[in-house]
Amino acid sequence: MNTESDVVIIGAGPSGAVAALELLRAGMSVTVLEQGDWVPADHFDGARPEWELTQLKRWHPNPNVRGRPEDYPIDTAASDVNPLMFAGVGGAALIYGAHWMRFMPSDFRVRTLDGVARDWPFAYEDLAPFYGYVEEAMGVSGLSGNPAYPDGAPCPLPALPMGKVGRKAAEGMNRLGWHWWPGSNAIPSRAYRGLQPCVLRGTCGTGCSDGAKATPDRTHWPEAQKLGVNLRTGARAAEIETDAKGRARAVVWIDRRGARHRARGSVVILCANGVGTPRLLLMSGLGNRSGLVGRRLMMHPYAGVMGTFEDDLESWVGPAGQILTSMQFYETDRSRGFLRGAKWNCMPAGGPQSFRAGYTGGTLTGGWGATLHDRVARKFGRSFEWGIIGEDLPDESNRVDLSDALVDGDGLPAPRITYAISDNTRKMLAFHTARAVEAMEAAGAIETEVTPLIRDCGWHLMGTAVMGDDPETSVVNAVGAVHDVPGLYVMDASTFPTSSGMNPTATIMAVAARSVLDLIERRAEVDAA
Amino acid sequence: MSLSGTERKRLGALARVMIPGGAGQPGAAALGLEGAPVDDVLRIDPTRAGPLRRFLALEGPIDTLAGIEALAQHEPDGFEAVSVVLANAYFMHPETRAAIGYPGQEARDASVGLGEADLALVDVVAGRGPVFRRV
Ligand SMILES: Cc1cc2nc3c(=O)[nH]c(=O)nc-3n(C[C@H](O)[C@H](O)[C@H](O)COP(=O)(O)OP(=O)(O)OC[C@H]3O[C@@H](n4cnc5c(N)ncnc54)[C@H](O)[C@@H]3O)c2cc1C
Ligand code: SF4
Repeated sequence: MNTESDVVIIGAGPSGAVAALELLRAGMSVTVLEQGDWVPADHFDGARPEWELTQLKRWHPNPNVRGRPEDYPIDTAASDVNPLMFAGVGGAALIYGAHWMRFMPSDFRVRTLDGVARDWPFAYEDLAPFYGYVEEAMGVSGLSGNPAYPDGAPCPLPALPMGKVGRKAAEGMNRLGWHWWPGSNAIPSRAYRGLQPCVLRGTCGTGCSDGAKATPDRTHWPEAQKLGVNLRTGARAAEIETDAKGRARAVVWIDRRGARHRARGSVVILCANGVGTPRLLLMSGLGNRSGLVGRRLMMHPYAGVMGTFEDDLESWVGPAGQILTSMQFYETDRSRGFLRGAKWNCMPAGGPQSFRAGYTGGTLTGGWGATLHDRVARKFGRSFEWGIIGEDLPDESNRVDLSDALVDGDGLPAPRITYAISDNTRKMLAFHTARAVEAMEAAGAIETEVTPLIRDCGWHLMGTAVMGDDPETSVVNAVGAVHDVPGLYVMDASTFPTSSGMNPTATIMAVAARSVLDLIERRAEVDAA
Repeated sequence: MSLSGTERKRLGALARVMIPGGAGQPGAAALGLEGAPVDDVLRIDPTRAGPLRRFLALEGPIDTLAGIEALAQHEPDGFEAVSVVLANAYFMHPETRAAIGYPGQEARDASVGLGEADLALVDVVAGRGPVFRRV
């Protein structure tokens, strides 16, 4: 089957949703190719007793563990970190924590300020109106006036409750005189547009069964459907085709039965994330004059400190979601021995399953027997985590390329990840976990456990089609247009020159809005097929 | 696909050592964990059955954690399945939940937002003034 529309978008996650909706509102016809399906709220297990069981497989964030037909496998043998994602209408946001963070003004100027990596081609002030725009759409809850931001990072909805966990953590931070602030989350504290009010179920990371968490299947796609979007699910893009003049012209896609189709459009926009987008560019042999397609992959290595307290903190109560954040050690201080810094998020500890594993003295059975009962009695409901997202600086040897052995269900080459944690990151995480132990102790923790790094932490996939002005040193320009391929755009986090230490979805959606509105404004100038 | 009598017996023996009960929590034996609770888990996640059965087919003493450890080192994937199945059967059980004071991931009212005590804590931070780096 062949279709023709003004624009073809690959990927129905947050970036694809922003791009599609604006184009439709501007009166253009849009086809969206999404390899996953719609996931109704009642498919998620949050409200069922088996929630902790199914998160180990069916709702696991690692596609290699999940192994659903709509997922592509990823060769991670040469990577210190596993990339995490979800295929569906709403993309990885279906299982995201909805931690909503604007990048800091300094994040856009790291070369100027700290002499590393690259500055962005635009500044925080340029992006601020787009942040506000997407925050309205997502119903972000939080407390405006955060002193860590020049404009206080305003939020359209009041903050979610801090609960006993938040108060305990905040008391510790105040004792130390350290910065913290009530968490900002793309989770509405009251009914908002198509979203139900959050019920603090705390299962955000495996999908919201209450229809509360702001995900594009609720915030964007319903309006896009009313405006006539041709959203194809179970549609895996295999190749982007160009015309005789080298302009993007069509996307070849494969349905679940293996039949091939062609979606024609004079503009093609890649929104397939920091792994899926370079994979498609490499499979299509496009946009790689700089040799940077797939390179500079940044994944935000993550560490955490769990504190245990004497008091019952009901620490399974949500959101999860971030209860508090801290930017105390976000900026560079060269005396610490590393550059840049990290954002902290205070999180509930979840259900009792998490106490099964943990520190077992190196044996497989060490967490069982009397130890299990003792750990549960001491820790369950009485523990919470300060999680640490460290800024991951770009390195060209950290990359996505195509596997020569592994293929997906359609026989297309799987992405292969080569990624090593840098010395800067190791020092950064060591410094931050030591400070987080102090924060826990100041809050009265009777025990702390440091997780120096978890392998399954590649939630944030950035940098693999970097933006810039020079086609020799970048893949796309400042509004996502691929150098040398008229009509081809990238509007996901692949374009990010640096990663910041923040959860990226706020910035992904704001940058996508900025790029697509620019495209709409200049459509007459686009040399489209 | 249900476990055979021999498999169930072996799983029950493992469960009694791994979850003996204590600190106010019930033991696997009292809950009959290897019966309906384990069947429930395998119904919800049938992918665990294969590796679980592999582990149950191993021969060797399992009356102590040290004995189980030796088998686990030999068949770590199988032991992971045993762990997932028993832990979930145990913590999904209403008696365990009641004993540890866990109501499950229940729904609560989020619209209460920040209370006075929370805002008093926030005031301390706000009072210290801006902390961002000027660019
Ligand atoms: C477990 C988890 C927790 C997270 N928590 C947070 C958080 O708290 N805060 C935050 O800011 N961010 C978080 N993230 C990251 C966040 O989910 C992503 O940054 C965001 O979803 C990226 O949006 P995107 O649209 O660019 O890409 P994605 O959401 O990844 O969407 C891309 C879509 O493209 C589709 N696709 C890919 N290749 C093809 C192809 N060849 N053909 C057809 N379709 C294709 C995929 O199926 C997918 O649906 C989390 C991620 C995970 C996995
Ligand atoms: S805490 Fe709120 S947003 Fe998260 S899963 Fe529960 S109801 Fe949904």
